[in-house]
Amino acid sequence: MQSNPKNRRSSYSHLWFVLPGLAFFLAVMIFPILFAFGLSMTDWSGLGNDVSFIGLANYTEILGYWPYYRAALHNAAIFVAILVFQHTVGLYIAVLLNEKPRFMEFYRTVLFLPVILSLVATGFVWTLMLSPNIGLINPALRSVGLDFLALQWLSNPTSALGVVIAVTAWNSLGWAIIIYLAGLQNVSEELRQAAAMDGANTRQIFWRVTFPQLSPAFTALSVLTFIGTFRTFDVVYVLTGPLGAPNFSTDVLGTLIYRTAFGSSSFSSAEIRFAFGVAMALLTMLVMAVICRLILKVLRAREIET
Amino acid sequence: MSSTELVQRTSAKSRFLITSARTAVLIVAAAWVILPLLFMVLASFKSVSEIFMDPFGLPSSWSFSNYKRAWDEANLSLTLPNTIIVTGTAVAASSFLSAMVAYGLSRKERKFSTGLYTLFVAGLLVPVHAIILPLFILLKTVGLFGTLFALIIPYIAMGLPLGVLVLTPLAASLPRDLIHAARMDGASEWQVFRRVVLPLLKPGLLSVSILNGVWMWNEFFIPLIIAFDPEVQTMPVGIVSFVGSYSTEWGLVFASVVVSTLPVVVTYFLMTRQFQSGLTAGALKG
Repeated sequence: MQSNPKNRRSSYSHLWFVLPGLAFFLAVMIFPILFAFGLSMTDWSGLGNDVSFIGLANYTEILGYWPYYRAALHNAAIFVAILVFQHTVGLYIAVLLNEKPRFMEFYRTVLFLPVILSLVATGFVWTLMLSPNIGLINPALRSVGLDFLALQWLSNPTSALGVVIAVTAWNSLGWAIIIYLAGLQNVSEELRQAAAMDGANTRQIFWRVTFPQLSPAFTALSVLTFIGTFRTFDVVYVLTGPLGAPNFSTDVLGTLIYRTAFGSSSFSSAEIRFAFGVAMALLTMLVMAVICRLILKVLRAREIET
Repeated sequence: MSSTELVQRTSAKSRFLITSARTAVLIVAAAWVILPLLFMVLASFKSVSEIFMDPFGLPSSWSFSNYKRAWDEANLSLTLPNTIIVTGTAVAASSFLSAMVAYGLSRKERKFSTGLYTLFVAGLLVPVHAIILPLFILLKTVGLFGTLFALIIPYIAMGLPLGVLVLTPLAASLPRDLIHAARMDGASEWQVFRRVVLPLLKPGLLSVSILNGVWMWNEFFIPLIIAFDPEVQTMPVGIVSFVGSYSTEWGLVFASVVVSTLPVVVTYFLMTRQFQSGLTAGALKG
């Protein structure tokens, strides 16, 4: 008789510890996401009571909605640029720091600093740095005679996206350095010494022995960069505004969804389509989850081979 | 360390060149990070005309007038305490709840453990853009809108996925004998958790707190939608909305940016190691 309730207690009692957290989680994450999914199948504008069910019409509309592709393309451009930057400059600096140069602690502390700064702060600093008359960049270019390069960086459609990329790079280089540095500390010294004995040169040792052992760091950093760059919002909002100015050349998924769902000052409220914006956010989440899976699958397979 | 044997083969002269080139790379990279920040700090002490005349010189006088004005006009007197209260409460509550969940789910053979763990971790994928308006409606319905709880409660929940992700493996690796021994001594489950498990999870809790604390302090999008009144604003939104109306007062803008970043930067300098390892551990697992 006693064993029954006791058994039940021991097999479910652990759930009491989960319950408070789960309550918050269900209220703030799960309920709203289900609610959002329901909303995405309506034509609700976000204001008023005018709601009718339209099934998956929002989703089929996205497939032919070119601003969505334009924004996704900008995200992809930022992703590729940052990915290359992290795996070249970031890796190189990590390797240099791993050689324990003088002031190594100083460099590491400073280079990681931007990671903890808010993107709002980062955005303002660079807005001023790049401003046409003051700032650092243009006077520096003029002083070395490169006047033709002294642009109105942020109001020029061809350079604005580049600025967004450069600022993102500034903000995220620390990640690459720290992750690669942690990876380098796990690289087997014996293998490298063995390769050196066999007459391999520095370059061969790095590419054939060290780099393959860094593949977990490579995978982690790539996925992190993917998620981070496809969620870009603050940098663009602060540097070029919610419209992705000039002329939408820096419009990313984050700003497009924000604008569609909540409007921005230069959009009349008639153009706010909340349900459509939510559908874009959910579709983006789904596509990102699938791509993330794929990246992980491809890169992890590579890890095992090596 | 790695290539010492190899470098020995090359001549001393080329070794010197290599070292200098490497040092140059590091110095350029460090300058690239530091100069803009230095520029910002200097600008925060200058008047607008001084910024335009002499952007990189030292300010003619180290006056805190920009800071005083920022305190009043940029609402820092409201937004700084708000940010501290919101981040502090949410970090503490979220870490504590994460530890509880992690302990509850730490044994895979228990009912629903794996399923619930996956559910929590899947929270990392939820796009804020999609849930923010349902959340807004919910907060309004329960009467929390317009209070600091409108930020604190979502932050607590949004901190859980990372907390559970980092802490569950740690809780699972705790020595079972220790927990069994405490139970044998007649400790209740709650006592086991408070007295045995929680102290052992301390390093993990520190990582989780840093990880969540940094994004909560810096978060811009969520408060932009659900905390736009100055009374409940946090600093990033406060500064952006202030810039909208005073866009040419750069000295004032930078004084407020300095105030908003200083607490995080000071904590970072005091605990550099913990920040780097904590953030990296979370990121690698995420």
